[in-house]
Amino acid sequence: MTPPQHIAQAAQPAIADGFDELIHAPVRLRVCAALDTVREIEFGALLTLLDISKSALSKHLSALADAGYLTQRRAVRDTRQRVWLRLTPAGRSAYRGHVAALHRIVGGTDA
Amino acid sequence: METNEPVTRDEASAALASVRDSRRRVAWRGYPAWYWPATGAALGGLSLTIGLSGWRALAATVPVAAALVIIALAAGRARGVCEGWAGGAARQRERIVLYGPAALVILAGAIASKFASWPPVAAAVLLFVLFAGTGLTLSARAARR
Repeated sequence: MTPPQHIAQAAQPAIADGFDELIHAPVRLRVCAALDTVREIEFGALLTLLDISKSALSKHLSALADAGYLTQRRAVRDTRQRVWLRLTPAGRSAYRGHVAALHRIVGGTDA
Repeated sequence: METNEPVTRDEASAALASVRDSRRRVAWRGYPAWYWPATGAALGGLSLTIGLSGWRALAATVPVAAALVIIALAAGRARGVCEGWAGGAARQRERIVLYGPAALVILAGAIASKFASWPPVAAAVLLFVLFAGTGLTLSARAARR
């Protein structure tokens, strides 16, 4: 899923010392934390796990996908189409860098 | 919360707490009710195969191991979570809490059956109760948070 050039540029997160403004938004951070530990999660399952609204989750997923941090795969199961989500290698790396930056802030070595 | 303001230590701490919470939810929430008893029963079955020898051990272990894989895949599909073959959301310590007692029971059962008149079914039942109980407790605790 490749976003148009201008959208990809607009969604480009500001990254400094691993801290990622795009990922730092609370819902997006929780989404990345959930996706980082597994291979992929179905949209409905993520909705239930994070206990947030469908529209809010969709909005944040789009932002992550536009930045190239997340991919979506559609699959039909039980005659219903389901969307499976997974972090891209870039997304996983950005998320882990962000968490490391948060640890540095908490540890007082980076503010 | 997209801002260029510097992030304070408290904000970073809160963000890390939400990361931990998300990880815990993925690790323990959403399991179908049958998963823990079914896996406990399969592990109990596995402990019974230890007392067997030769081809009978192999013939009994293969279907039980296959059942464990099928149960795990079915649970993952029901949850909408694919953990992959390596890794997973559960921490090492949580895995030890879940699988440690079961492994000890299998080991103790195997040793006891050599030196005493320990019925293998006792180990299987104990294993089932321990595993299903621990799994259900961990899931219930994650759901309450």
